[in-house]
Amino acid sequence: MRIGIDVGGTHTDAVLLANNEVVASTKALTTADVLTGITNALDTILKETGVSEDQIEAMMIGTTQFTNAVVERRELSTVAAVRIGLPSGAGLPPMVDWPDDIAEALGRHTYMLTGGMLYDGWPMAPLDDGEIDAMIADLVKLGITNVAISSVFSPMNADPEEYVAAKVRAAIPEVRITLSHAMGRLGLMERESAALLNTALLAFADRVVDAFDDAMTTRGLKCPMFVSQNDGTLMNSSFVKQFPALTFASGPTNSLRGACKLTGLSDAIVVDIGGTTSDVGVLEGGFPRESNVVISVGGVRTNFRMPDIMAVGLGGGSLVSADGKTIGPQSVGHRLVTEGLVFGGNTLTATDLIVGSGAVDIGDKSGLSAVSTETIANGIATIHQMLDRAIDMMKPNSDPVPIILVGGGAVLVTGNLKAASVLHRPENAGVANAIGAAIAQIGGESERLVSYSTLPRDQAIKAVTDEAIGRAVEAGADASTVRVAEIDETAIPYMDEGNTRVRVKVIGDIAVLGAGAASATSLDIASVQEQS
Amino acid sequence: MQIKVEDLDDLSLGAVFLATGGGGDPYVPQLLTAEALKKYGPVDLIAPDDLADDAHVVSIGGVGAPTVSLEMLPSLGEAVKTLEAYEDHVGRKVDAVVSFEIGGGNSLIPLMAAAGRGIPVVDGDGMGRALPEAQMMTYAIAGVCPTPAIAYDYAGNITTFTTKDTATYERHIRALSMVSGGMLTTAEHPMTGAQLKPAIIPGTVSFSVALGKCLRENRGRADQMLPALQKLFAASVYGECRMLFAGKISDKATRIIGGYDIGEATLTPFGGEGSSLVINIKNEYLVAKLDGKVAASVPDLIVIVDYESGTPINAERLRYGQRVAVFAVGCPDFFRTPHALKAVEPRAFGFDMDFVPLEEITV
Repeated sequence: MRIGIDVGGTHTDAVLLANNEVVASTKALTTADVLTGITNALDTILKETGVSEDQIEAMMIGTTQFTNAVVERRELSTVAAVRIGLPSGAGLPPMVDWPDDIAEALGRHTYMLTGGMLYDGWPMAPLDDGEIDAMIADLVKLGITNVAISSVFSPMNADPEEYVAAKVRAAIPEVRITLSHAMGRLGLMERESAALLNTALLAFADRVVDAFDDAMTTRGLKCPMFVSQNDGTLMNSSFVKQFPALTFASGPTNSLRGACKLTGLSDAIVVDIGGTTSDVGVLEGGFPRESNVVISVGGVRTNFRMPDIMAVGLGGGSLVSADGKTIGPQSVGHRLVTEGLVFGGNTLTATDLIVGSGAVDIGDKSGLSAVSTETIANGIATIHQMLDRAIDMMKPNSDPVPIILVGGGAVLVTGNLKAASVLHRPENAGVANAIGAAIAQIGGESERLVSYSTLPRDQAIKAVTDEAIGRAVEAGADASTVRVAEIDETAIPYMDEGNTRVRVKVIGDIAVLGAGAASATSLDIASVQEQS
Repeated sequence: MQIKVEDLDDLSLGAVFLATGGGGDPYVPQLLTAEALKKYGPVDLIAPDDLADDAHVVSIGGVGAPTVSLEMLPSLGEAVKTLEAYEDHVGRKVDAVVSFEIGGGNSLIPLMAAAGRGIPVVDGDGMGRALPEAQMMTYAIAGVCPTPAIAYDYAGNITTFTTKDTATYERHIRALSMVSGGMLTTAEHPMTGAQLKPAIIPGTVSFSVALGKCLRENRGRADQMLPALQKLFAASVYGECRMLFAGKISDKATRIIGGYDIGEATLTPFGGEGSSLVINIKNEYLVAKLDGKVAASVPDLIVIVDYESGTPINAERLRYGQRVAVFAVGCPDFFRTPHALKAVEPRAFGFDMDFVPLEEITV
């Protein structure tokens, strides 16, 4: 059996899965220390089911703690940003385009060194030991023990990053280092920023992982623990301690993955309706479609893998105009339970419309006496039009597509959606995130710029694939189960034919659970309510 | 008029619109230009007509693969050092610099050189948009010799060129960029004020700022911003602006042939009913056909924007499923002579078709 936990801003959800079926679920409030919320949720689940601790094989946690730390500028360590790339990029130091508050939270200690590679492997400039030693002496003087190292074209040749890292480690044994090439993709400034955010979170990651371990020990759980990544795969605790930033945006990803599991559908649109917004995402082959634009985290441009999500200002607390023809984007949010008409308040909300239509029975219907049936009918039509439009814009093509409704606001959809071939309202949709965490596998990814004219295509793809497999195994995958999930080849304009950016993503089962213990492709389909 | 740090967001946004899908992402050049303007102060923009006939002007910009600059970043001193190397080479001072391509990042490189040297930038450029090859530039079409020219690389290596014609120069500089990390800064196509005046698309730098401002202030659904765009273009060297289509990218296939990102994108209307639009791509959006009938073609501008925000989308970033609108804009009069069209008409890109001016096409 597995336990999946989702630590959100408001709620900490937990689910217990046996043979990939939801046996129990619970929602607890997220506590300031996070830990108490988790132990509360664990308590409820174990007590409710009477399952003993030694029956739990693994615990998977999805958490927003690291994203929130960046957004709220909390728990961030002082970091030195070391870039190897001069003479290129002079005048564009690390963090040049960051908001001041977060750059200052990290301390703005930037060092630019000569070195790095050209796209074709020719060295940009030789590394200068004198320059490197002076930088290290400065780190020692300032007492900086967190260092992010980036180098031009390091995804293709990481030697300069490794060389400088070795010297830093020799001089500062307790140092925590992130090398930018380990964070992935091409795009120096975004990769460097990702490495910097990651480094700033390393000390916090130690505390968070230790707290998770404590929570498990307190409950007598001896199983391994995994944390969700932004691409819907898992990392083991030693990997989280190295790459906490890879948890960014794991929440929406887990919601999509959970919806996939709950319905058995690999290709569908998932609409997660909350109190203020409806988040529309796309499942492709069982995983979220990725956004292809630069994503900002807390105002910092990064190149993290993020799901492509379209947010529409429509939720249970959304404000409704008097004629019912305009809804949102303003919302009463969590004050719905005091301000909505059916709760004795004075504000017409989307939830009031649904109660007025008779589709659900929440609160006190007498609060709606002043609302005309025409307003209610208009409002219901508006809700459906808004969702239809958003779904239509996210659909991969014009064919009707299965829609999965999740989230507490899913009751807003009372009728049919034109864009839907079928409409699914799975049971346990309220804890889809925790389910998404619980069913996940281990992934690995690698990207390189290669030249097919010097290295044949099949050999180039194999080299990148091997690197991705290495990363998956390092993150805790069973090497014998790792398979290629995606190969993405992008040719580079204005260059010779054959210059191609190759990205490979692989997925495998968790090594400690053995092969086949949890394959996303062989899930049993949970009970599903279907509307045609 | 002056270009100040505050104008750069609008200038870049306008320049991406005019880049018609090519030109590279101006994000990094913009950061660098902002640093240069902060350090040296604003840059004077001078109208072509205000240049003395004997003024010495040189065009300056980046040549190579913009994708490479995502890793190998340009540096602050490059544009100024390129200009200085050019002056050393020709043995005289430059009175003003000019852009060879307003579309994309090359709208900004001359500003960095001008800021560092305290000289003006000429308000105008050699394309009025983005185009992939040097011989498609108005300077070349007007008969300006591409050289003496110099190329400056990431490490400060300098190569000088003495080349008879722009097409040959284009081949040489392209080959040099490949072995120089993929990107070079060049000073080329030197002109006197008298040579420049009939050879330039005038006013495009200030227009790009105005266009960016218009896109920013009217940010929102593409059909709702159309009237504001039409008003702006009608009062410019471009003229007509129309919205050809709104819909989704239902297919996009491109591949690199000879350094060019060649292929096509198919758009279908929202909801799936109705005619589809096919756009031929060769780095830039070159030909748009509605149900097989030409709706717009190069040198007229074809621009794809995000439907919801009106933000222009680069061809490299175009992908299946995006919700977009397509605008077409008439080209400046410079390109409408038979001589100029030879360099930039659809046939110059390998399409077996004549250029039909936008205003002669009824939809």
